[in-house]
Amino acid sequence: MILVWMIGILLAGGFLCWLLARWNTQLSKWAALLSLAAGLLIVGSVAWQYGDTVRSQATWLIDYRINWIPAFGISFHVAIDGLSLVLLLLTFFLGLLAVLCSWNEIRERTGFYFFNLLWTLAGISGVFMAMDLFLFYFFWEVMLVPMYFLIAIWGDSNRRYAAYKFFIFTQAGGLLMLLAILALYFVNATQSGVYTFDYFDLLNVSLAPETARWIMAGFLIAFAVKLPVVPFHNWLPDAHSEAPTAGSLILAGLLLKTGAYGIIRFVLTLFPQAAADIAWWAMLFGAVGIVYGAMLAYAQTDLKRLIAYTSVSHMGFVLLGVFAFREIALQGVIMQLLTHGIGTGALFAMAGMLKERLHTRDIEKMGGLWSAMPAMGGMALLFTMASLGLPMLGSFIAEFLILLGTFPVQPALTSIATLGLIFAALYSLRMMQKVFLGPVKGASPPKDLTPRELIIMATLGISMVLLGLFPQPILDMVKMTVHQ
Amino acid sequence: MALGSALMVIISRNPVHSVLWLIVTFFAISGHYIMMNAQFLGIVNLIVYAGAIMVLFLFVIMLMNLNAETEPKKNKWLKMAGIIAGGCLLLVLVAALKDAEVKSSTVQLVDGEIGLIKQLGHVLFTEYVVPFEVSSVLFLSAMVGTVVIGKKGD
Amino acid sequence: MNGLQFEALLPYTLLAAASLVVILLIAFRLSHTVIQITGFILMCAVMVALLQASALLPVAIYPIFQIDGFALLFTGLLVLCVMVVGLFSFIYFEEREENPKEYYILLFLGTLGAAVLSISSHFISLFIGLELLSVSLYALIAYLRNRNNAVEAGIKYLVLAAISSAFLLFGMAMIYMETGSMEFATIAKKLQTSNGHSILFITGTGMMVVAIGFKLALAPFHLWAADVYEGAPTPVTAFIATASKIGVFAVLLRFFQTIGLSNYPMVITVFLVLAVASMIIGNLLALRQQNLKRLLAYSSIAHFGYLLVAFLPGNAAGVQVAVFYLLSYSITLLIAFGVITLLSSREQDTGDLALFRGLFWKKPVTAAVLTLALLSLAGIPLTGGFLAKFFVLATGAQQQLWFPVTVLVITSVIGLYYYLRVISTLFGEAVPTPVKKTLHPFFYLTTYTSLIVMVVLLCWLGTFPNDVIEYINRQLLIR
Repeated sequence: MILVWMIGILLAGGFLCWLLARWNTQLSKWAALLSLAAGLLIVGSVAWQYGDTVRSQATWLIDYRINWIPAFGISFHVAIDGLSLVLLLLTFFLGLLAVLCSWNEIRERTGFYFFNLLWTLAGISGVFMAMDLFLFYFFWEVMLVPMYFLIAIWGDSNRRYAAYKFFIFTQAGGLLMLLAILALYFVNATQSGVYTFDYFDLLNVSLAPETARWIMAGFLIAFAVKLPVVPFHNWLPDAHSEAPTAGSLILAGLLLKTGAYGIIRFVLTLFPQAAADIAWWAMLFGAVGIVYGAMLAYAQTDLKRLIAYTSVSHMGFVLLGVFAFREIALQGVIMQLLTHGIGTGALFAMAGMLKERLHTRDIEKMGGLWSAMPAMGGMALLFTMASLGLPMLGSFIAEFLILLGTFPVQPALTSIATLGLIFAALYSLRMMQKVFLGPVKGASPPKDLTPRELIIMATLGISMVLLGLFPQPILDMVKMTVHQ
Repeated sequence: MALGSALMVIISRNPVHSVLWLIVTFFAISGHYIMMNAQFLGIVNLIVYAGAIMVLFLFVIMLMNLNAETEPKKNKWLKMAGIIAGGCLLLVLVAALKDAEVKSSTVQLVDGEIGLIKQLGHVLFTEYVVPFEVSSVLFLSAMVGTVVIGKKGD
Repeated sequence: MNGLQFEALLPYTLLAAASLVVILLIAFRLSHTVIQITGFILMCAVMVALLQASALLPVAIYPIFQIDGFALLFTGLLVLCVMVVGLFSFIYFEEREENPKEYYILLFLGTLGAAVLSISSHFISLFIGLELLSVSLYALIAYLRNRNNAVEAGIKYLVLAAISSAFLLFGMAMIYMETGSMEFATIAKKLQTSNGHSILFITGTGMMVVAIGFKLALAPFHLWAADVYEGAPTPVTAFIATASKIGVFAVLLRFFQTIGLSNYPMVITVFLVLAVASMIIGNLLALRQQNLKRLLAYSSIAHFGYLLVAFLPGNAAGVQVAVFYLLSYSITLLIAFGVITLLSSREQDTGDLALFRGLFWKKPVTAAVLTLALLSLAGIPLTGGFLAKFFVLATGAQQQLWFPVTVLVITSVIGLYYYLRVISTLFGEAVPTPVKKTLHPFFYLTTYTSLIVMVVLLCWLGTFPNDVIEYINRQLLIR
C-alpha cells in the first residue's frame, strides 16, 4: 500500500499545484516541493526499514496487488526489490532537485508546469515498480505525455519539432512493446489456460526460440529507443537540448534509466535464452554507442547537445554491461545508472543556469567564466571529472566495474569501449576549457551561484562523491537482485 | 425490347427522346412483371414510374431547356475511367452470374400467388406490419426534409 | 403481435413518437427552448423504456426484428449520442437564428432509422432502417442551406447514398435468389445445407459490403466523408460520425454473426483489405489537413479501420470489444465536436486549425477537454481510447492476425503526429479573437456540464473499465 502512496502523492500533488497556481504561484511551487519531499521521505523510510532484508534475502520487499480489469487478467500489481528501491530513491531525489531547478526558470503557467513535472515523475516511479505488464505499459505512457508537454510548452525555440520527435520515437517503440506484451500474454494463455499479464506468471512461459526472439525484439526496441541505443538515439539530442532545465534533468537522469531498467527487469528474465543469443550484437551496439556518442559530443558547440551526446556514450556502457551477463558488470550498470543520473543531471542543471545568465547555449560564445563565478566553475569541474570517470567519484566505480565484468566475456569489444573513456576525457576537457577557461567573452560578468543553486549543485556533488567513496551500500542493496 | 429501349435512352441525344424511350422501357419491364405473375408490381410500376415520375421528368427537362449544345464538356480521361470501371463491374457480374446459372440452384418459389394483390395485402398487414409502419415514418422523414430544404429563406 | 412484443418495441415506438411530438410542438408555435427540453426528456424516456425492456429480452418479432441484449446495447449507445447531440444543437442553432425546429424531427427520425438497423434481422428492416437514416441525413446535412458547402455536401451525400442503396438492393436480390429468404437466420440455415460457397452469394455479399462500406466511410468508399463532415452543421457531423455509423455497424455485425461469414475466407479477405486500406488512407490523408472537422473525418475513417480488426475474427470477444470501442469512440468524438460547436461563430463553423491557436490560455477548460479527446483518439492511457485500442489489438493478436495488427500499430504512430499537431496548436501562442455574443448562461452551463461529464466518463472508461465490460458481457449473453 505504501507504494500506492508514493504514486498517489505525486498525482495528487500535481493536481494541487495546478489548482493552487490560480491563486498563488508561489504556493504551487511549495506544494510541488513538499509532495516530492514527502515522497522522498517515504522511499527513504522504506529503504531504512528494509535495509537489512534486502541485503540478506532474495525476496520482494513489498508486494501489493489488487484486481483492476479481471476480465482480461489485468491487475494493479506493484512490487519492489533492491533494484527498484534504488531507482525510486534516485527518482525522488532528482525530482526534488528538478523542482528546485525550475524555481525561477518557469515564470508563466507555473501551475500546469508543476502538474506535468509531478505526473511525469509519477509515471516514472510507476514504471519502476509495476509488476503487471499491462500496468507497466500504462505507466510507460503516463510518463510520456506530460513530458511531451514539458518540452512542447516550456522548451526552447525549436521545441515543437523536438517534442514531436521525442513523442513519436518513444510511442512507436512503446506500441511495439505492447504488441510483444500481447503476444506473450496469449502464448501464456494457450499454455497455462490463464489469461494474465502478471510478471510472475509470465516468467514461467516457455517459448519456442523463434517466438521468443520476435517477442523479445518488441521489448528490446522499446527499451533501446528509450536508452537510447545508437541507431535509435536520434530523438535524444533534440529533446534534451530543447527541454527546459528540469525537463532535461529528468530526461537524462530518469527517463533513460527506465529503458535500462526494462532491459534488466524484463528482457533478461523473460527471455534469458534469446537474450543470450543476441548478447554479442547488443554489446557491439553498446560499444559503438560509447565511441560514437563520445565523438559526436566532441563535435558539438551547443552545450546541452554536447551533454546529451555524452549520455548516449554513457548509456552505451549500460548496454555493454547488461549483456555481459556477469554479476559484477550488472552491479556496475546499476552504479552507472545512478551516477549518470546524478552527474548528467548536474551538468544539465549547470547548463540551464548558464543559459539563464548568458541567454545562449553556444560554447563558442562563452569563455573565461571561472573568474566571474568560481563556485560554479568548481562544481562544473567536479562533474566534468565525474563524466570522464575520475577515481573517487561514482562514475569511476561504475565504469570500472562494467569494464571489469565485460572484459573476460568480450575482450575486443571492451577494448573498444575503453577508447570511449579517452574520448570522454577529450570532450569533457574541451567543454571545461571553452566555457570556464580561456579569454573572457561578453561584456558584463555574470553573477555566481545563488544559494538555491548552490544547494542543488552541492547536494548533487556530495552524493556523487559519496557514491564514489562508499558504493557498498548501493551494491549491497542490488546484490540479491543482480544475483538472480 | 427492354434492353433495346434502355440502350436508346442513353444513346439518344435529345433528352425528350430519352425520356420517351424510358417510358417504353418501363412498359416492357411491367410486361415482364405481369408475365411473372406479379400483377400488383406490374401495375404499380406503370402508374408510379411510367406515369408520375416520367411526367416530372418531362417537366424538369422542359424547364431546364436542355439542348445538345449546352451540354458541358466532360473530361475525356474521366469518361474513359468511367467506362473502364463500369466495364469491370459488368464483367465481374456477368462472370459471377454465368457460373451461378450453371449450378441452377436458384430457388423455386413455393407458389406463384405471391405477386397477387390479395396475397400481398395480407402479408403486408400481418407478418410485415412493423416495417410497413416504419416505412411510413420514412416518408414522413422525406417529407419534412423536402419542406425544410425547399422552404423559402425567411 | 402480443403484449410482450409491444413492450419490447416500446423504446422504438417512443422514438418515433418523439418526432411526432416535436411536429406538434412546432405546429403550436412553441419556442426552441421548449422543444429542446421536451426532446431531452423524451430521450430520457426512451432510455428508461430501454431499461424496462431489458428485463424482457430477448424478444423476437419474427421475422423482422430481433430485440436482444446486443440490440439494447447499440440502441442505448445511439440514444445517448443523440441526447448529447441534441444538447449541442441548441447553442449552435440558436446562434444562427435560422429556424432550428424541424431539425429535431429529422434528428429523431434519423435516430429511429439507426435504432431499427440495430434490431433488424431481415433485409426489409435493414433496408428501411438504412433509408430512414439516409433520408433524414440528406436534409440534415443541407440544413443550413444558405451556406454554399452545405448544399454541396448534401447533394454529394444524396447521390452517393442513392448509388450505395442500389448496390445494397442488388446484393440483397442476389442473396435472395440464392437462398430464397431475406431473413438472416434462414439464410444461414440454407447456406449450411448447400455447400455454401456459391458465387451468387459471394457476389451478393460483396455488393452489400460496398453499400455498408459507403455508410461507414471505409477506405475505397470514403470520398464523401471529408466534404460532408466539413459542410454539415457541426452537431449533424457529430451525428453522422457517431449514431449513423453505430447503427450501420450494428447491423453489419449482426448479419456477419448470424450468417457466420467468418467461415468464408473470401469475405474475410475483403474485410481485411478494407480495414488495412482504411487505416492507411485515413491516417495518411489526415496528416495534411488544416481543418479540424476534415481531420476528424479522416481520423474516423482510420478508426473504423481499427474497429474492423476487432471484427474480423467474428467471435464473441470481437463483438464485446467492438461495443467497447464504439462507446469510447463516440464519447470522444462527441466531445471533440461539442468543443467545435461551442467555439463556432455565426458565419461559419470553427474548423480551421488557426482559430484554435493558443486556446489553452484563453479557455483552459475547453482546451483541456479537447486535448483529452484528442489523446483518447490517439490512444494514450488514462483515456477510454487507449483501452479500446488495446482490446482491439488483443483480439487481433489472439487470432494471430499479425498483418492487420502491425498495420494498426504503424498507422497509429502516424496518426499520433496529427493529433499532436492539433494539441500543440492548442498550446501555442494566443491570438486575439473577437468576443462572441453570449446566450443565456444556462445553456452554456449545460453544454459545459455535459462535456465535463463525458470527459469524466472517458477517463473512467480508461481507468476502471471493468464494470462496463461486465455489463456488456452480460447483455451480450442475452440472445
